[in-house]
Amino acid sequence: MIDHLLLTPDQRDALQEVTNIAMGQAGSQLAQILESFVQLSVPRINITESAAISTGIAQLVGTPQSITAVRQAFNGTLRGEAMVMYDQDGCRDLADLMGYEDDLDGAADRELLLDVSNVLVGACLNGIAELLQAKLSFSAPTIMAENVEVGRLINPQQLTWNYALLVEVHFTLEVRDFTCHLLTLMPEESILTLKSALDTFMENF
Amino acid sequence: MPTPILVVDDSVMARKMLIKALPSSWDVEITQAGNGIEALAAYRAGKAEVMFLDLTMPELDGYGVLETLQREGLNSFVVVVSADIQPMARERVRQLGAIAFVKKPVNAEQIEAILREYGISL
Repeated sequence: MIDHLLLTPDQRDALQEVTNIAMGQAGSQLAQILESFVQLSVPRINITESAAISTGIAQLVGTPQSITAVRQAFNGTLRGEAMVMYDQDGCRDLADLMGYEDDLDGAADRELLLDVSNVLVGACLNGIAELLQAKLSFSAPTIMAENVEVGRLINPQQLTWNYALLVEVHFTLEVRDFTCHLLTLMPEESILTLKSALDTFMENF
Repeated sequence: MPTPILVVDDSVMARKMLIKALPSSWDVEITQAGNGIEALAAYRAGKAEVMFLDLTMPELDGYGVLETLQREGLNSFVVVVSADIQPMARERVRQLGAIAFVKKPVNAEQIEAILREYGISL
């Protein structure tokens, strides 16, 4: 029943490559902000049913004790949600790298997470959109959850879709144990649009 | 005799994009590899007078390939082809012996210019 949503091996490969290219731009911006070398990951792709969203996310981001997540919705040729997830150490590391004092208050901390997330989401998704000749607009970033388990991040009962495509990339800093994940979620109708955009893209090669 | 060249990328799509961007006049015998381990095997089999090498790959990444080649005495022209546009990535691969760095998505003119610069006959 979800056969028409599944990506062919070629589409999956192309999406991985397009994501990889876009991620390079995002990683470069993060490196500039943090003045540190950023290691890029091989993008991971999965299709999940709404009921299994927590498992789907955990498979891609692992199961750190607790995470803080920032979300941004996107609209246009493709529609979905982008989420940037930091574990507890990640939040502290980020503040530390930016030269914030130890007694950082919650508000400044949150603003930093929002800013960094906004840069990563914008660079990565605009990069993908540009390669696929799509147009996207973004909502302002908001804190989705603070210090929650991955399994509690999304309540499956509040979801308005049945199936979604998940694309995960992560950025790691070599100098310290910092990782943040960027997870993009697109519900079924965007999967179909994406599949045909990937086909068009591949026709050029 | 055609020049043996090796195209290394975990993405089939990326390999196709690169191969399409090679100068059409260049007489080459193309071998493809999907990760660093395969790349080193092809290199040892003499398939890589010129190597186009991606950095972010599973199994063994591009840095790992360059390190191994350097350890074993590099005698291949390695052009790194990567989406990683950090200046430090560029610097590192140069230090590891790569002759050039090409940013993805690749562009045919840029590749031709690099090959000409290194006196590779096209």
